[in-house]
Amino acid sequence: MAKFNIETVQNVEISKKFPSEKTPLEQLEIMEQYTAVHKANLGSSKEMREARCLEVLYPRLFRHIQPQDLTAGRLDFLPIGFGCVTSLGGVGHYCVFRKLKTFREQLPESERARVDSLYEYWTHHDLKTVYNRETLQEGVLGMFIDTEYPMIATARLSGMMLDYPTLLSLGIGGMRAKIAEKLSESPDNEFLKAGLICLDIFVRSAEMLRQDAINQAVKANPERSRELLAMADALDRIKEHSPSTFPEALQLLWLYALLAGVINYGRLDDFLGPYLAADLREGRLDENGAYRYIRSLWTLIENRRTTVNGRIIVGGKGRKHPKEADIFLHLAMKVAKDCRYVEPQFTVRIDKDTPEQVWDEALDALGAGATYPTIYNDDVEVPAVAYGMRMDQATAAQYVPFGCTEFVIQGESTGTPNICINLLKILTIFMNGGIDPEDGIRKDGGVPIKPLSEYRTFDEFYKGYKRLLDFYLDLSAQAQFHSYEVMNRHVGFLFTSLLMKDCIERGKTLLDGGVRYLGGTNETYGNINASDSLTAIKDLVFDRKKYTLEQIEEALLANFQGYDDIRRDCLACDKYGNDLESADSMADDLYEFVAKGVRDRGIAIGMQYFLIVISNNQLNTEWGLKTGASPDGRLRGMYMNPANNPQGGADRNGPTAMLNSLARFDARYHAGSVQNIKFTPSMFNGHRDVIKSLFRTYFDRGGCHIMVTVVDSGVLEDAVKNPEKYPDLIVRVAGFSAVFVDLSPEIQQELLSRVLYDERKSLC
Amino acid sequence: MSIQRFSLHDGPGIRTTVFLQGCPLHCPWCSNPESQPVHPVQRHARDKCVRCLRCVAACPSSLISPGPDGYPVFDRDSCQGCLSCEKSCPAGAISISGKQLSIREIMETVERDSDYYRNSGGGVTFSGGEPFMQGEALISLLEESAGKGIHTAIETCGQVPSDIIRRAYALTDLFLFDLKHCDGRKLKSITGADIDLILGNLAMLAGSGNVTVRIPCIPGFNLDSESLSGMFGIAVSMGIREVHLLPYHILGMDKYEQLQRQYSLPGEGLAKEVLEPYAAIGRSMGLNVGIGG
Repeated sequence: MAKFNIETVQNVEISKKFPSEKTPLEQLEIMEQYTAVHKANLGSSKEMREARCLEVLYPRLFRHIQPQDLTAGRLDFLPIGFGCVTSLGGVGHYCVFRKLKTFREQLPESERARVDSLYEYWTHHDLKTVYNRETLQEGVLGMFIDTEYPMIATARLSGMMLDYPTLLSLGIGGMRAKIAEKLSESPDNEFLKAGLICLDIFVRSAEMLRQDAINQAVKANPERSRELLAMADALDRIKEHSPSTFPEALQLLWLYALLAGVINYGRLDDFLGPYLAADLREGRLDENGAYRYIRSLWTLIENRRTTVNGRIIVGGKGRKHPKEADIFLHLAMKVAKDCRYVEPQFTVRIDKDTPEQVWDEALDALGAGATYPTIYNDDVEVPAVAYGMRMDQATAAQYVPFGCTEFVIQGESTGTPNICINLLKILTIFMNGGIDPEDGIRKDGGVPIKPLSEYRTFDEFYKGYKRLLDFYLDLSAQAQFHSYEVMNRHVGFLFTSLLMKDCIERGKTLLDGGVRYLGGTNETYGNINASDSLTAIKDLVFDRKKYTLEQIEEALLANFQGYDDIRRDCLACDKYGNDLESADSMADDLYEFVAKGVRDRGIAIGMQYFLIVISNNQLNTEWGLKTGASPDGRLRGMYMNPANNPQGGADRNGPTAMLNSLARFDARYHAGSVQNIKFTPSMFNGHRDVIKSLFRTYFDRGGCHIMVTVVDSGVLEDAVKNPEKYPDLIVRVAGFSAVFVDLSPEIQQELLSRVLYDERKSLC
Repeated sequence: MSIQRFSLHDGPGIRTTVFLQGCPLHCPWCSNPESQPVHPVQRHARDKCVRCLRCVAACPSSLISPGPDGYPVFDRDSCQGCLSCEKSCPAGAISISGKQLSIREIMETVERDSDYYRNSGGGVTFSGGEPFMQGEALISLLEESAGKGIHTAIETCGQVPSDIIRRAYALTDLFLFDLKHCDGRKLKSITGADIDLILGNLAMLAGSGNVTVRIPCIPGFNLDSESLSGMFGIAVSMGIREVHLLPYHILGMDKYEQLQRQYSLPGEGLAKEVLEPYAAIGRSMGLNVGIGG
């Protein structure tokens, strides 16, 4: 076991969360009660323990309905509680020790000891800590997010997108009947018994919110009062019945998602479109009313502030109600354009049959600086998912990106990225005889590494690197799989399990054999720096023989200080992103080695799929800070390339060349790859037809995805200097959007380094 | 020569522009002054130069010498473009314009974006300098491009022998023909151009219907109603419909310093709106007048 600090920051958190509505003492009481119930149920089944603990939290953690809400449901999170993801609360029965410590400071001195005993209890029971103790390995496998390590692991259940069509068609009453029926076959099934308790929790939560709506209606103006009473009626209905209107459907879905702790929402157009269409047709809603409901949903999602989640997906293949879904799609496009929030991460799936209007609306929203929608190419993704995840095309057509881009099959698969691997750091370790040049610690995992002088060909050198990668890829599959084992040992993720195929049918929770497709993902970083480094070594050492490997390594260890010539030559070597065969084929080769390596290992260990994602949040910058200088000319501590894009500034041949490079990777071997591009407004909006054909051609060529930032030149630079002038400036970081001025200086610099395509540059 | 992909101002759609080296004129507003000589030219960015003078040692023909201020001085007329100085520069301050590329190498780059051309109505544009200065190479490039079904455009100043233009005629989908003045004397004195030769070439191409006249609008030279009306009149008389007014810009100004040359024109570009009244004149004469490339 490796030593680790349980107070380490566990995830990316840019957006600041709302403070709890409850007083610190109330919060403490809830956490104490939760802890007591957890302790009292240590001998119970994991399912029953979870259900009893959830009863402590809900409906108590609900906040009041806010004046702008048209759908009810906002939640507080405490440093101790239950959850699925690190973005909200924590995973399973969790304690976020760092936050608990901060919370302690808010209490009067006399009460602080109460926190200390909670802290002590949870050091033995926090799920992630349990996982870390069992899994982490000194030198090679660290915890999220400890960038000293070349690979990090966590236990979490990110990216779950539930089977909402089943929820909407059955309603809570129908779900109850379904569980009861199954329970009559196996009366001792703890999951099903606990599942019924969950539905009771749902009903109590709906009732509490209904009361809140009524209480507020009394004091509200007539218009707001009508809205609140409509909300109360909807809440009343969904306690038992399936929804009959769009607002009721939205309410059911939203409340369930909150209780399940899921933060990505899926193909809302297809689920909600029929309700919306019926309301519009029958005059219960007009277009403005529908817009307001969707806008309110946008605000609710934004206010959850998960930073890298909140996915809503519209459009694409495999929709069951395309006509009705498009009504939602068009309104959502308008909302996304008007709101310009960092969340929800609004996503459109397109294919060759997508109407022109959808393209135009998408480009309009992007041109307005919304950074949304992100666009996925179904013509590439659906067959790729079918291959990568080993399923038929119809199932694959239900893929949905979550988080930074990782795919799951809505309602049918897990896909949580519980591993991140830094390919570049591993290269610097390999070149330094197994020792990380950053801290002098051996991180070769016992893999024998020859001295650099002994490599006579590039292939030998590359093979040596691959051998070290193999060690890490083995470990990645084991650590991912083990995260499921540990989570399954302790929790059932009940609300999630109830709405994932085939948990109820099998009478098993998600990770206990319930979920139809047990998948997972592995986030790779430094891909392009690593491949550009290999390109430089091949060129300078083996093809042109200008330097020896030892000379290059000497320069790297000195961070190129005193080795200007070597750095200049390294930088001058061909770079990925310029549509050059040399650099692009190297990138592709390394990609395939890693991606296939991960996939094969996942299948071997017993997962439906384990695929890399070239997703990238801001870890490319943070990990770069702890990664030595590299043969691509990158200095020590410098950010690494973002996602699947070239290192900032390395692409010099314009957008067609960059996109040609991006389109190289075969999408079948990854479960999502982020492709960023940045334009000035005059370029993007002044040449809309050109931009459209640029993207379309890129998609024709096999490009799987594009995400776009439209920002004027000089604006980001000015925002660094005068942040107060830009409170609303939104940028696409990689797999998520953020208010630019909320980002750290290092991340701002990484964004600035990326090429901004401007029409003036093309004037000659 | 140099190649720019994703050009948006040298013809319709997404284009790759191939800048061929050499120009018979010397327009003082030229935004590609490095492309005027037929031979390769060093550009030297003084703001990047660290005055290490490694380039002096690197030049095999001893064409670079230390200047009195510590910066290198280049004998540009004799340079063969071997790239030694560019490679030796640790600061990236030297770049050679006009690198030698074979027809095959050029076409390999051009063809990489073929599908973008097809989908956007774009293609390849040969520009310069004056592309006809390397006439035989240009003809080969046109043949190769046309053979691959790539839309071809040529940006020319018209100051070239008529027979070579005639040979390019059938291989070119669009001529972007620069017309700088209607007054032969003024044109000659400022740019060195021969108006008779230019108008003769324009008249020859005009019959094809695939000519766009492009007028760089330069304050103090041709930015007045009389000059522009005169040029519009020439277009009308030849049956040409498309005219683009190109607002004067200063994007090439830095290059003059890098070539150690003086830039003699105003330090501010023109807003597109300034050209509106002039465009209206042309439109009133029955022309389709656009502003910008």
